[in-house]
Amino acid sequence: MNQSKHDPLLNRLKKSRVMFLLLIFIIISGWCYIDGGIETGPYNLVYPSNFGNRIQIPADNPTTKQGVYLGRMLFYETRLSANNTISCGSCHQQDKAFTDGRAFSPGVDAVLTPRNSMSLVNLLWARKFFWDGRANGLEEQAVTPLTSPHEMGQALTVSAQKLTQTVNYPALFKLVYGDDQITGDRIVKAISQFERTLISANSRYDQYLRGAYQPTPDELKGIELFNTAPQPEKGIRGANCSHCHGGPKTYMELFHNNGLDSLPKDAGIETLTGLPADRGRFKVPTLRNIALTTPYMHDGRFKTLEEVVDHYSEHLQQSASLSSFLRGESNEAGGKSLKLLSMEKKQLIAFLNMLTDSTFITNPSFSDPHLISTKNKKH
Amino acid sequence: MKKQFLIACLALLSFTAIPFISQAQTIKISGEVSTPLTVDAAYLQKFTQTTVTRKDRDGKDHTYSGVILSEILKGAGVTLGPELKGENLTKYLLVEAGDGYQVIFALAELDKSFTDRTIILADKIDGAPLAPADGPYRIIVQDEKKPARCIKQVTAMQVHFVK
Ligand code: HEC
Ligand code: HEC
Repeated sequence: MNQSKHDPLLNRLKKSRVMFLLLIFIIISGWCYIDGGIETGPYNLVYPSNFGNRIQIPADNPTTKQGVYLGRMLFYETRLSANNTISCGSCHQQDKAFTDGRAFSPGVDAVLTPRNSMSLVNLLWARKFFWDGRANGLEEQAVTPLTSPHEMGQALTVSAQKLTQTVNYPALFKLVYGDDQITGDRIVKAISQFERTLISANSRYDQYLRGAYQPTPDELKGIELFNTAPQPEKGIRGANCSHCHGGPKTYMELFHNNGLDSLPKDAGIETLTGLPADRGRFKVPTLRNIALTTPYMHDGRFKTLEEVVDHYSEHLQQSASLSSFLRGESNEAGGKSLKLLSMEKKQLIAFLNMLTDSTFITNPSFSDPHLISTKNKKH
Repeated sequence: MKKQFLIACLALLSFTAIPFISQAQTIKISGEVSTPLTVDAAYLQKFTQTTVTRKDRDGKDHTYSGVILSEILKGAGVTLGPELKGENLTKYLLVEAGDGYQVIFALAELDKSFTDRTIILADKIDGAPLAPADGPYRIIVQDEKKPARCIKQVTAMQVHFVK
């Protein structure tokens, strides 16, 4: 019989040795997970049923976990710009709901973009991209910022070459596409996969719609104003925003002239179609996280939501292409703009503030992965 | 030398002028059609004009005139009339407006052998061209209670099978 088996001290030592080995094992496997153990397989896009299933995923670019991983790396990859300083994330910052807080954004050549950076959220449901809707899919859209001389300014072939020369990327592309060939098409596809995962569905408004939040009286009144068309002759007051910005996503993919100017400096969709009815017509943007995406409108002309609401309430500019939804829409009989009371403006803004989704802007899956790995290296 | 100058002038003109030439709205008809079409004002004149009266948002009756939608679709070779049976009954018409708004009609809703309700592509209201914000073309659905499918500023129509 072996005495030592019953020696408590020896036993404890043995146990702790086992624990120690186990710890080493966990550390090593954790290390592998970070460096090589990227999860693979179909990516499960989770969203509430009231968003509907009219989602847009091209047949030749299914969303996979490894594709989203690569897409996120590329979204924040400054090597995709001509001077290695700018990434998509420069003009689309997570803490600002993927905008950049500027009216116009500087590209690699320091020239400013002609229009305001747009929030990237719930793009899974969008079919037409940009303020004028000129791109017909995320894949098509991404080519513009990558190659435009005033944005990232680098040909896709050059980007592909630069990534081929890195240590990490060839293996990542192999994991996603089956071989380590890096092409512009593959870059654009992976970025689009990541963008499709940018789903925001947990604002206080979403919580209210699923019965998990009781709005304040001001918020409730704001919701009502937002969704009601004014009918002064019947004594019904409203702001009718939902005609263009309505639905659970506060995005309906419409394009309108919302009366910013009677002679617009930027003709919007008219520049593409030559149709006078399209003058000053722009995408009706999502209002999700709207409190975080100042300045507002295609040219960033308004700094606060108060200014925006004042616009619809008092300063609507008439023109032949002004949307019919805003014509003669007023709380005063015969009025040309909404004419809201100051109390109503506050209530409307209380509602707009309900659209902030703090889980979205702090979701670690959407943050810059390069920051995390450089932080790790430092330690 | 003179010729070169002329060419240069023309080239310059074409650069400056093109963006400022106002186009006229047309309607593209595509999808499950035998002849894709681009409908314009001249094309519509070839058809019998029909009128439909319905209330607008102002609560007043208005007389809209234009062409019966199914007649235009027949011109594109859409399976209406005797051909509207079997799997063709799972086809729908998607109508799109300049603002991106879309509505659909089942083909059977447009077919005379199924319904007497008239649906027209209107270009006039009370004898005058539609207002720019409504026109130049608008679908008018006779007797439909809500005006939501009386889609304004029509820019495209597509016929599709339900998948
Ligand atoms: C220099 C700043 C800048 C950079 C860099 C940039 N963007 Fe943008 N982004 C913008 C601006 C400005 C717009 C609106 C442009 C327009 O409408 O003409 C925009 C619009 C978009 C849209 C359209 C959103 C919608 O709702 O229609 C998407 C998607 C987008 N960007 C993705 C990207 C991706 C992906 C990258 C990186 C490959 C990127 N952006 C890089 C400034 C930038
Ligand atoms: C006729 C359709 C329409 C209606 C009705 C409408 N809007 Fe808009 N809204 C737009 C369009 C179009 C834009 C973008 C215009 C541009 O930049 O040229 C916009 C922009 C905005 C923006 C800025 C978004 C951004 O990301 O910059 C806010 C905020 C906004 N609207 C709030 C409202 C509120 C509040 C109401 C109701 C009082 C309302 N809108 C009613 C069409 C509409």
